[in-house]
Amino acid sequence: MDETAVEVRRRFRAAPEKVFAAFSEARWVARWLSPSPEIRLSLLQFQFREGGAYRFAYHVPGGQVMTVRGAYRLIDRPSKIVFSWVIEPPDEHAGLDSEVIVTITPDGEFTKLLIRHEKLTRPAAGARHAEGWRGALDQLAALLEQSGACHADRAS
Amino acid sequence: MIHVLARGEARSAGELGRQFRSAQPTISNHLKVLEQAGLVERTIEGRIHRFRLRQKPLKEAGSWIIRHQVFWIGAVDQLDRLLPEIAGNDRG
Repeated sequence: MDETAVEVRRRFRAAPEKVFAAFSEARWVARWLSPSPEIRLSLLQFQFREGGAYRFAYHVPGGQVMTVRGAYRLIDRPSKIVFSWVIEPPDEHAGLDSEVIVTITPDGEFTKLLIRHEKLTRPAAGARHAEGWRGALDQLAALLEQSGACHADRAS
Repeated sequence: MIHVLARGEARSAGELGRQFRSAQPTISNHLKVLEQAGLVERTIEGRIHRFRLRQKPLKEAGSWIIRHQVFWIGAVDQLDRLLPEIAGNDRG
């Protein structure tokens, strides 16, 4: 297993163009590209074109905000999107330049989505460096434990 | 998926499939990904496979990679719920 990359795959009953739209249109991006409905995403900047920049603010319950920025390095509609993913100061990981590769593939009446987040170089000095992003994700883990029930009810 | 498993009780693949109204291969594949990421553990009782969320990896200090995995799994779960609305939108 690659220690610096994660992959998530999913198959949707929707056309590739619709899955692509989820990444390319601000009105849709804001509604799903966060780890949990409790962590609200606001788009500070969104230039969906090659070389265009984005900035996403993640509002964690309790008032903490984590900001991620990057640039679209490659856009091949409707099959591939590559963008950089950099966490902003004051986070200790500011400047850690990771990359997200989105691959959208038709599969009959379905569409396969692969999200590969790579160059996630492990924080060099361990614990004390991780506070910002980890703080947000720790809250996520806690939220998942506490609020799993209400999501499950909504999903059923 | 993680939200449902986060209730803490072990769920069978069939129960999870009914919860999400998804095809069984989709559920099985998703569970396999979670299992490979070390987020979910599987127990087998006869023909029934049960899955339980492992809380420890989520809490371990420095599990930088796993935390990003959780981010994207959570995001794709949200996308799964949003796509019918995008698909129903002509301009989408």
